[in-house]
Amino acid sequence: MALFGAFCLRTAGLYLVWWVMTEGDSSGLGFGAVIVVLVGLLSCKLYSPSGYALHPLATLRFAGFFMLRSVVAGVDVGRRLLSPSVPVNPGYLTVTTSLPAGGPRWLLANTLSLMPGTLSVRLQGASLELHCLDLDQPIDADVRSAERKIAGVFGLRPAGAGETTP
Amino acid sequence: MIDSVILVVQVVLLVVGCLFFGVGTLGLFRFSDTLCRIHALTKIDNLGLGFIALALLPQASSLATGLKVVLIWLLALAASATSAHLVARAVRSGDKTGTGRKRGNG
Repeated sequence: MALFGAFCLRTAGLYLVWWVMTEGDSSGLGFGAVIVVLVGLLSCKLYSPSGYALHPLATLRFAGFFMLRSVVAGVDVGRRLLSPSVPVNPGYLTVTTSLPAGGPRWLLANTLSLMPGTLSVRLQGASLELHCLDLDQPIDADVRSAERKIAGVFGLRPAGAGETTP
Repeated sequence: MIDSVILVVQVVLLVVGCLFFGVGTLGLFRFSDTLCRIHALTKIDNLGLGFIALALLPQASSLATGLKVVLIWLLALAASATSAHLVARAVRSGDKTGTGRKRGNG
């Protein structure tokens, strides 16, 4: 039953993407329906459903958080680049995430790559190695707030904070 | 009246987007190591493309066209985050082994 639900959801999502890619052209909709069902079947065969459900409200909140932090990240890097001395203090930092393996951890690693001052280098189990542009910044707090937002997206209860080691 | 306001906003957004791209490219020259350069490229390109996509949205003739612009931005984000991660991992492996180059599959 969960498999069927995931199939329907993925097929509907893919059909939306098809509709967007053809810019709403009605002549391609019939052909697209066939393709989308086939791709939906293939996707369920290749990637079995994870059991996580995305929470729409939390996803919107995450999108807002993401855009705001993107602007902060771009302005931060731009400011450093344009100042004559190029003030950076780069280094590695390993954080332990409380998010479960799979989608949530993957989303955290990719989000952190686009957030101010962090770049995910290696994800091994629950430990995520980050490269930081400026070690003096409160990186741990940033990681935790991203973690909380992602936990909300996947409907997870926020677990105890992990630890950070340089 | 409202049309010209939208046009001005669009032009401003496009110029800001292009400026961010320019600054990001400057990062290639001003930062001294690979990982800092990757920082500059991923973050600034995300923001630059975001501004350009936002500027193009009022121009969209239909909902589908507008969503297509957003989809392009999202795909570019996923691609830039993933490639940044792969380059960073390759650099880190090179650091650890001391060869400076990653061989085989990673």
